[in-house]
Amino acid sequence: MDTIKTIKELAAKQFGGEADAIDENAPVDQLGIDSLGFLEFLFELEDAMGFPIPQESVAHVRTLRELATVIDELIAARPAAPA
Amino acid sequence: MGAIAPIGASPGECFESAVCGRSGVERVPAELYTGTASLAAARVRTDISGYWPAHQRAQLDRAAQLALIAAAQAIADAELYLSDEESLRAGVYWGTGLGGATSIEESYRQLLLGSGRVRPTTVVMGMNNAAAGQISIANGLRGPLLNVSTACSSSATAIGEAYRALLAGYADVIVAGGSEALITDGNLRAWDAMQALAHADANDASRSCKPFSANRTGIVLGEGAAALVLEREDRARARGARIHAELAGYGNASDARGISKPDADGQVRAMRAALAEARANPDDIDYVNAHGTATQIGDVVETTALKCVFGDRARALPVSSTKALHGHLMGGTGALELVLSIGAIGRCVIPPTAHLEEPDPACDLDYVPNQARATRVSAVMSNSFGFGGMNAVLVARAYQS
Repeated sequence: MDTIKTIKELAAKQFGGEADAIDENAPVDQLGIDSLGFLEFLFELEDAMGFPIPQESVAHVRTLRELATVIDELIAARPAAPA
Repeated sequence: MGAIAPIGASPGECFESAVCGRSGVERVPAELYTGTASLAAARVRTDISGYWPAHQRAQLDRAAQLALIAAAQAIADAELYLSDEESLRAGVYWGTGLGGATSIEESYRQLLLGSGRVRPTTVVMGMNNAAAGQISIANGLRGPLLNVSTACSSSATAIGEAYRALLAGYADVIVAGGSEALITDGNLRAWDAMQALAHADANDASRSCKPFSANRTGIVLGEGAAALVLEREDRARARGARIHAELAGYGNASDARGISKPDADGQVRAMRAALAEARANPDDIDYVNAHGTATQIGDVVETTALKCVFGDRARALPVSSTKALHGHLMGGTGALELVLSIGAIGRCVIPPTAHLEEPDPACDLDYVPNQARATRVSAVMSNSFGFGGMNAVLVARAYQS
């Protein structure tokens, strides 16, 4: 799964604009997302991913790229789905 | 002035509907209500989803959205441009009964019946003062801010308290008004459980609210917002503002009797206080916009109170309830009704009480039945009475420099 693509598409849907135009390395506050808006974004992302994102895991996340790294780690740490 | 209501998306549209008898009431759609009664409600039909980008709208309860629209209209209408320094003496006084209760209801629905998760925006959307805060933020109003919650008199009380704050010199200009948006399953069921709601008229649901009529069956819940820019006279004159009217008096008195049952005594004292502050005699009032919710008891009690205050003048005094058309906007209703009352001053037309089909012997005043009346209107009274016995009365008159 292309995590950063999912994140950018969700960000575009929630905050407007084109997914490709979003700078994944820019601090999220420079994308016009305030702290409450980011929490709301994480809430939607949990729905999209289908698993909870613990607060402590994203406490130091500054960019969407960093967020994608955290999500990939969470995916890797999850038990494999039964076949 | 600004308004977004079931009968229009501006003060002008609302006034025209009130005069022409255009109703904003309709049968409650089945998808909105799980109860068994046949109910009517008055919803804002204007599509407001395009006013904000989705992520901003996601932080605004519907009541705050309507509030922001009404406030923006009022500020534009007043051509209010404030310097940084002036904004420190510009306030917001806002009335709402239950604030963002729709968001709280939705969060409980999700928590208990849905995803089991609660959105991070629930607190800032649900809190009672959300609309007041959002108006202040959107317009850079940095002076005194007050959120008033006195049930159905909330916005009338907010306007009255804003008026007092201006007189006392705490601010130079205040955006005052109120909003409510509670056409939800939970709220409809709660009001229905009190047996306070009107039955939907079987022949024509738009005629379900019948104030002062013998066949009235109760309240029709409405939603919407209205706002007024109140300004100190010296400042308004100095900047050459177009002045719609002078707010001349405010009365606030409580019944101290029943939590939901109205009482004439408190209403009488609120009306008398407003008249006294306006230095007006009963003969000076050309029109009363009644609270007139169309409950059996409420309309009789208000009629009794009006007779007590106006004496011999009462039978010749035009009184109407515009709620027949826009429903009961709860915390927002007093502001909308003051906007309509001031409209009557400006246009010299009194909006009627619509759907007054069967005179009630216990309601024997001139309710301006069904037809608007063209006449000189230089002073008006607007009554708002809330649960808890909280009565707020405003008197406004044509501005004369």
